[in-house]
Amino acid sequence: MKKDLFKKFLVMVLVICTIVATTGCASKKTDENNTTSTEPTTAAQNTSTEKKEIKFFHRFPDEPFNSFIESKIAEYETAHPDIDIVVTSAQNDPYKEKIKVVVGTDDCPDVFFSWPGEFSERFIREDLVMDLKPYLDADQEWKDSLLATQLAEYTTSDGMVYGIPFRLDGKMFFYNKDIFEEQGLSIPATWDEFIAVCDKLQEAGITPIAYGNQDQWPSAHYIGTLNQMLVSDEVRAKDYEATTGEFTDPGYEKALTYYQQLIPYFSQGTNGLTHDMVRTSFSQGQAGMIYVELVEIPYIKQENPELNYGMFNFPTVEGAGDPTILTGSPEGFVVSSKTKYPEECVEFLKWFLGPEVGAEQAQTIGWFNGSVGIDKAVTDDYLKEAYNVIANATKMGPWFDASLYSTVCNEYLTEVSSLTNGDITTAEAMAKIQKVAKEAQTIAATDK
Amino acid sequence: MKKKKLTPYLYVLPGLLMVLSFVYIPVVANFFYSFFRLSSYSVDKKFVGFDNFVRLFTNEAFPIMIRNNLYYCIISLIVQVGFGTFVALMLESKLTGRLRNFYRNVYFIPALISLSAVGLLFTFVYSPDLGLINNFLESIGLEQYTQVWLGDSKLAIFCIIAMSQWQFTGYITLLMVVAIQSVSTDYLEAAKIDGAGPIRTAVNIIIPLAKEQLLVCSIITIIGAFKVFTEVYSTTSGGPGKSSQVLGTYLYQNAFLHDDMGMAAATGVLIFIITVTVSIIQIKVTKSGEV
Repeated sequence: MKKDLFKKFLVMVLVICTIVATTGCASKKTDENNTTSTEPTTAAQNTSTEKKEIKFFHRFPDEPFNSFIESKIAEYETAHPDIDIVVTSAQNDPYKEKIKVVVGTDDCPDVFFSWPGEFSERFIREDLVMDLKPYLDADQEWKDSLLATQLAEYTTSDGMVYGIPFRLDGKMFFYNKDIFEEQGLSIPATWDEFIAVCDKLQEAGITPIAYGNQDQWPSAHYIGTLNQMLVSDEVRAKDYEATTGEFTDPGYEKALTYYQQLIPYFSQGTNGLTHDMVRTSFSQGQAGMIYVELVEIPYIKQENPELNYGMFNFPTVEGAGDPTILTGSPEGFVVSSKTKYPEECVEFLKWFLGPEVGAEQAQTIGWFNGSVGIDKAVTDDYLKEAYNVIANATKMGPWFDASLYSTVCNEYLTEVSSLTNGDITTAEAMAKIQKVAKEAQTIAATDK
Repeated sequence: MKKKKLTPYLYVLPGLLMVLSFVYIPVVANFFYSFFRLSSYSVDKKFVGFDNFVRLFTNEAFPIMIRNNLYYCIISLIVQVGFGTFVALMLESKLTGRLRNFYRNVYFIPALISLSAVGLLFTFVYSPDLGLINNFLESIGLEQYTQVWLGDSKLAIFCIIAMSQWQFTGYITLLMVVAIQSVSTDYLEAAKIDGAGPIRTAVNIIIPLAKEQLLVCSIITIIGAFKVFTEVYSTTSGGPGKSSQVLGTYLYQNAFLHDDMGMAAATGVLIFIITVTVSIIQIKVTKSGEV
């Protein structure tokens, strides 16, 4: 309410200013133009009488992904002359900020990108996202065409399906096959084997693990995976929820200890390197291994098409958790609950995120959407392997940084960053995280 | 009679309304919001009293932020204002000769580059394996001095500060050049006749006469140091750990990362109070307006 009032006030001030400024020299028409331009919604309503306008907001402005999306949308518009899809996009971090600002307003895009888990659930709590379950139930064929494990990531604990995957993802260790062969190394399955491989590589003067943590999120993937193995599912579920999060389980500190063991094997000056930089050095054959997302395969291909590499799962660590979980989660699109055309939005998503576009998407840009069996058209062996890894995963482990309450996440990443530099101990780090988790409990409780 | 009195006010009105709605109302609204807990996409807000301020002041990062902002402020004053003025004096002395214009441009060009571009540029300069600095040190045989720069908790903030100095010293220099040029030649000639050398002239004639500009430059620099954001955000985002966190990045993270607009507003209030106090003190101390 307050916001609306303020908006009206602003418009009024603008109108007064223009009137005062243009009295005697400007015709009345300019005034009208000025006032309508401050209120884009009214303009949109006028044109929508002929065409149904669907506003579409995504976070893939880079090439070739952007052109692929644009071309598919153009194709859809030609096939559906009554639909006009207005596309806007922003880069990852700015996207997070922008969507949070527009999602609550009347200008909210009808279909927009959103990460599964807490990122979307905070919007669901404010009732800003539409439930797609009724539509999926009504169309069994559509439901069957989507991978159930991936759709499960876009399902709330009480059964609401709020998004459809656009690209699948999982985190795996990639290793340089040539280097491994030269050093006579085999794929490590357990932690001890992994450390032995690292030692061998280091002795040979090769960086064992390419890792750049300047942006801090890369550490979340290590910690998230280790937590999955060292802390039981129930305890993690309780701690990742802001209102009950404590992080007192000893498994969490153990995870940090395991992470600490890897520090000597990481790229020199980890905290001063970005993930992109170290991925390039892995692509150029300057490091033995790297922990990367499967969606990065196209980038590696771009950086060095000749690179001979393979992939393996994060080495198993004995603990209370579940080592079969594949870290990673799909990313996809949700529909705003404020949309005027829910049916049309769902129809569009059915096609845009369905098997037909999915097969073409996999072949052209190297990203898989959530449809079943879309790897058939794919010629790249690395991509085929990646699709199988994800399609065969029994359970996904959502990104650690996306599943935590933002202040807790921030503290976790900050402390791991300090830990990487050797500034603090694991016990100190946990104590600080526990303190922030406690504060988050009270904050989250007041919000509810 | 009445109409005559009203007209000037009418002329001022549009500008006044603009300033009111875009400057003063947001400032007041910011004070108001700092007592609430609210997010950008939710409609309701909760009154929490001084809780946001208590959380800000008791935050573990608070002393780090204040320390970093103070470092920024002090180093900028010494380098930008101090060294910048020195460079300006040199530029206006006889030493530069015909190359004066060339030097002036060279020093000023960094200030024209956008902040985020400079941030990106310097992440490459500071990069531990590909970076300009480390490669340079290695090539002249000083491997032992190579650092992780932005990735080192103790060095990160100074690396960012250094970047700012590189960028803005030329800006202050240019402002000072203008002030020095406006010093009347009568005084300079009189000083010369009295037998004052170049240093004496600079210290006793030029600087006192350019005092106003020096004051403006110091205020710009101090306020800039407490408002600093882009430089940090585009290089380390406050890391590693919290070591290069400043008030600006903290405000931003609360607003857009944690959706804690109330906390962000409280941080904004603190920055506002600091900068306003500094300006008032400085203007009072130097008795602006008198020569």
